[in-house]
Amino acid sequence: MLKQILVGHARNAIPQYRQFELEARKDGARFIEAEHMLLALAATSGTEAGRVLIDAGLDHERLAAALRDEQRQSLAFAGVEPPIGGLPEATLLDRPITFGTSAKAALGRALHACHAQRSHRARLQSIHLLIGILLAELGTVPRALAIAGVDRAALISRARAEVGVTAPPC
Amino acid sequence: MDASLPEPIGGPADGLAAVMALRAMTDQLEDTEVERAMRAGWSWSQVAEALGVTRQAVHKKHLRRLVAAGLDLKRRNA
Repeated sequence: MLKQILVGHARNAIPQYRQFELEARKDGARFIEAEHMLLALAATSGTEAGRVLIDAGLDHERLAAALRDEQRQSLAFAGVEPPIGGLPEATLLDRPITFGTSAKAALGRALHACHAQRSHRARLQSIHLLIGILLAELGTVPRALAIAGVDRAALISRARAEVGVTAPPC
Repeated sequence: MDASLPEPIGGPADGLAAVMALRAMTDQLEDTEVERAMRAGWSWSQVAEALGVTRQAVHKKHLRRLVAAGLDLKRRNA
């Protein structure tokens, strides 16, 4: 229920929403997905999440390259090569982009990580969002990180240490 | 291998990721090419026939976007 409320009021409830939306638009995507959230967090070095990512060598540029590699490798499975320079851009509607399935799942895990702090003062922070994104076992983000040679488990541990979250994921 | 803990790389994960990547590429290509055809003066019916879908389907999916793109669609009722 809390996740639905959060998603429904994302523009006000999640300070990073505009950055997530920007990354989705740059990607020509119809929805904000977990990879767009991750890219946005990597672009904000002033936050806990941004620091954890950048300390691990995962700045925006490297993550974007990892995601391109993931797309290339996935398409290659079907014998398809992405066009050089990408597809021509279509006109997109200038309306708010909502969260896609992988982003909603990440938000749900982020809320769980936040609640696991068992503190009345705990509020959803960028580091919780990062934990929620990194906990996905399958899909674009874990594939991109694996292709880039990133130890996802170690990254999760570092992120959890940042906030003292010790409870297991839901 | 523990089937309850599939890896994100290799095996079925690669095939399923290919489906996702192709779907995203197809969606983007459809947006681009429908816009290109309509800019070239095609009718909704012609675009629909070329895509193998109904005129209503293509109209519903792309009308607002193409209006926002500044296309004059008043005489494209065919």
